[in-house]
Amino acid sequence: MSQQPSVLKNVAIKGSGGLVIGLMLAGAAYALGFPLIFQAMFFFYAMLGAAVFMLLDAPALKPISGVKAVAALVAFYIVLSSVYIVGASLWPQYDPNDEKEKIDKLLSRRKAMTEEGKTEELIARAKALSEKAEALMSRLESAGVKGVDAVAVSMPKSKPKVSGGDLAALGLEQWNLQECYNCHVISLGQTSEKKKRGPNLDNVGTMLTAEQIRKKILYPRSLMAEGYEKQFKQKKGRMPDKYRDLMFEEEVDALVAFLTTLKDDKADTPKVIPVKE
Amino acid sequence: MKTWQRSLLIMAGLLMVCGTAAYAQMAPDPPAGEFPYTGNRTAVWIVAQLHILFAAFILGAPIFVVISEWLGYRTQDPRYERLAKEVTKVTVILYSMTALTGGLFIFVLLATYPDFTTWLINHFFLIFAVIYPLLFIAETIVLYLYFYTWDALKGEKKARHIALGVLLNVIGTVTLFVIDGPTSFMNSPGKGSVDISIYEYIAQASLWDKVYNYSWMPLNLHRLVGNVTFGGFIAGLIAAYMYMGAKSERERSYYDWMGFVGNLIGVGALLFLPFMGYLLAFELCDYDASICPYMMADQLSMFFEMQGAMVGLIFLASNYYIWLSMKRIEGVERVRMNVLTVVVMVTIPFLMTWVWTMFPVPNPLSLAYLIPLAIAPAVLPKVLPFLRKFTVSSRTVIKVGFLMVVVGNAIWMTPHAFVATQALAEHHLELPSEWGFLALMPAKNSAAFTLVFVTVINYILYNRAIRQGTIVWGKIDFASQFVLIFLAFSAIWTMGLMGAVRSLLRKYYHTYNLLPDFTAESYTPTLSYSGWWITAITLTFYIVVSFAIVLTLRPADAKEPVAGGEPVPAGAK
Repeated sequence: MSQQPSVLKNVAIKGSGGLVIGLMLAGAAYALGFPLIFQAMFFFYAMLGAAVFMLLDAPALKPISGVKAVAALVAFYIVLSSVYIVGASLWPQYDPNDEKEKIDKLLSRRKAMTEEGKTEELIARAKALSEKAEALMSRLESAGVKGVDAVAVSMPKSKPKVSGGDLAALGLEQWNLQECYNCHVISLGQTSEKKKRGPNLDNVGTMLTAEQIRKKILYPRSLMAEGYEKQFKQKKGRMPDKYRDLMFEEEVDALVAFLTTLKDDKADTPKVIPVKE
Repeated sequence: MKTWQRSLLIMAGLLMVCGTAAYAQMAPDPPAGEFPYTGNRTAVWIVAQLHILFAAFILGAPIFVVISEWLGYRTQDPRYERLAKEVTKVTVILYSMTALTGGLFIFVLLATYPDFTTWLINHFFLIFAVIYPLLFIAETIVLYLYFYTWDALKGEKKARHIALGVLLNVIGTVTLFVIDGPTSFMNSPGKGSVDISIYEYIAQASLWDKVYNYSWMPLNLHRLVGNVTFGGFIAGLIAAYMYMGAKSERERSYYDWMGFVGNLIGVGALLFLPFMGYLLAFELCDYDASICPYMMADQLSMFFEMQGAMVGLIFLASNYYIWLSMKRIEGVERVRMNVLTVVVMVTIPFLMTWVWTMFPVPNPLSLAYLIPLAIAPAVLPKVLPFLRKFTVSSRTVIKVGFLMVVVGNAIWMTPHAFVATQALAEHHLELPSEWGFLALMPAKNSAAFTLVFVTVINYILYNRAIRQGTIVWGKIDFASQFVLIFLAFSAIWTMGLMGAVRSLLRKYYHTYNLLPDFTAESYTPTLSYSGWWITAITLTFYIVVSFAIVLTLRPADAKEPVAGGEPVPAGAK
C-alpha cells in the first residue's frame, strides 16, 4: 500500500506511541477514580493497540515450505495453545469448593429422597450398626473390667425444636443457597450502595406480612413492587417462578422467617401492589 | 460368663449379623465406571465436544459447498467448482469421524451416567430410536451420492447435482434441529404454572412440547450460523495448508483465492453470530432470570471475559487478513472513502451506548437512532453533494477501523469488577459507580456492533479495491496463511468455550430445575481447568482435520488446471 518503515523503527515508533497513550489513559483513569487494576487494563489496551499497528506495518513474511513450514506450524500451535491456556488462567478463578459446599447442602435432602439416596442411607445405617457391634465385641472382651454403662447404646435423640432465631439463621442460609443476593440487596447492618435488578429488601419485614412474603416467593406474579412496573410487565428479568417447585416447605418457612426480620425503615424497600391474576 | 455378658454377646452377634446382612443386601449395583484422571464428567465433555466439532463441520461445510458449486455453474469459474469438490472430499472423511465420536459419546454417556441417559432417551424415545437414526442414514446416503455423482452429473445434469446438494443441506439442517430438541430441553425443559408443578408438566408434556422449549429455536439459529462460520474458517485452514504445500504458482494462486473465499464466508457468518448468541442468552434469561446473573455476574462471568478476548482477537485477525489481502491489490491507493464513515466509526460505540441506555433493546427507538447513523455515510454525500469532497484514503479508514476494534474490544471486556463472582467484589477491584455503565449490556451491545460495523466497512472498502484495482492471486503476504490458521483455531476454541458455558448453565442439574446431578462433579469448574481441556480438544480436532486434509488433498493430487497466476482484473469472471 505504501512504503514500510524498518522493523526496528516500526517497533520503536509504535511502541513509544503506545507507551505514551497508555500512560495518558492510565493517568486519566487515576484522576477519574478508577482502581489500579483498571488503570493497568487501560494501559494494556494501549499497548495492544500499539502491537496491532506494529503488525500492520510489519514487513511481509517470506514464504517457507517443506520441513520448515511444518516446524513453523507446530511452533505456532504451541504458542497459540500456551497463550490461550495462560490467558484463561490469568482471569480471577472461582473456587469450586465454595460451590461444592452449597450444592451439598442443596441436594443432600433431595438425594435422600431418591432410591439411590435411600439405599445410601441404609448402607450408612448398616455400617453404623456393624461398627457398633464391633465396638460391643471389643468391649465385651474386657467386660470383666468395665461395667454395663460403658456399653450402653445411645438412643436417638428426639428432633430438637427450632427456635425463631434458629429458623431465621436457616433462612439466611436459604438466602445464600438460593442465591437471592444475585438480584436483591440486603445490607444486614452494613452500608451498601449497590443496586441490583430486584428491589432492596432491607425493610421487607415491615412492608409485607409473612404470608405476603411467602406468596411472593412461591407466586412472584401475585405482587408487584412499586417502581418495578416496567420489569414486571416485560418478559425478561422477572423473578423466577420456580421456587414452589424447587424448595421444601421448611426451606420456604425459614426464608420467610428470615425476611420478616428485615425491618430497616431507613431503607428504600418499595411498597407492593397486589396484582389481579 | 455371667448372664448379662452372654446376653450382650448374643446381642452383639445379632447386631453384627443383621448389620452385615443389611449392608450386603442394600449395596447398590457396582457403581458406574470412573474414568481415570479426567473423571466422568470431563470424559463426557471431551467426547461430546469433539463430536460437536465434527458435526458442526459436516453440517456447515455443505451449505457453502453447494453455494460454491452453484456459483461455479453460474459464472463458469472453475475455481468455485474445485473449492466445492475439495471441501466435500474433506467432509466425507470427517463424516466418519462424526459418526465414530457420536457412537463413542453415547457409549461413554451410558457407562458414566446410565440413569440420566435412560431417563433422557425415554423422554425423547421417538427421536433417539427412530427419527434421528433415519435422518442420519438418509444424510449418509445423500452425502455419498452427492460426492460420488460429482463427475457423472455435470454439464446439463449439473442442476440435478446441485439439487442433491440442496437436499443434503435440508436433511442436515433438519437433523441439527431434531437433536437440538433434547439438547435445549436439558437447559430449559419448560415451566410449571400456578396450578401444576414442573414435574407434572413434564409428565404430561408431548414430545413436541419438550422439543419446542424456550431455547430450542435460538439454539438452532445460533448453531446454524455458527456452523457456517466454522465451515468457512475450516475452508480457510484447508487453503492455508495447501498454500503452504503448493508446488507451483498456479496452485498458490488457487489456494490464495480459496483462503480469501473461506475467510469471506467465515467472517460473513461471524457478523451475525454475536446477535444469535445474544438471542440465545435472551431466551435463557427469559426462561429463568437467575441464569443471567450466573452467566454475567457469578460463576461464569470470567468465561464471558475470555469470550470477549477471543471474539476481539477473531475480529482483529479477520480484519488483518483484509489488510494483508489489500496490500497486494495494485491501485488500492486510488480507493478513498467519505470522511463521514470515519466519523461514524469513531462515534458509534459511545453514541450507541448512550442510545441503548436510554432506549434498551428491543425498544423500537433503539433502532431509530442506529439505522440512520449506520447508513449516514452512504446517504448523506448523495443528498449533500459538497460532502463528497471530504474523503480519506483506504489506508486511513482501515487503520481507524483497527483502532475502533481495539476500543470496542476494550469496552466489551471491561468487567464490573475483577473478581470471579460479584459477591466477592471489593472497592479496589470495582468500576467507580459513575462508570458502572461500561459493564452493562448497552455498552456491550454497542461494542459488538462496533466490531461488526468496522468489519463491514472494511469489506466494502475491499470490494471497491477489487473492482477498481488489479489483484494478484498467489502473491499475498505469507503471514496471511498463519492468520487463516489462527482464525480457525480461535473459532474452534471459542466454540469449545461457549459449548462449556451452555452446558454449565444447567448448574448442578442434568436437566435444569428438573433432574439434579448428585455426582461429586456437578460444580462449576474453573476457567483455567476449562481452558486446558478446551485447548486439548481443539488440538485433537486439529490433528484429525490436518490428517484428513493431507490425506485427501496432498499437493501431488491437485492437478486440475486453474486460471490464474498472472495478474487478472480482480472483478473478472
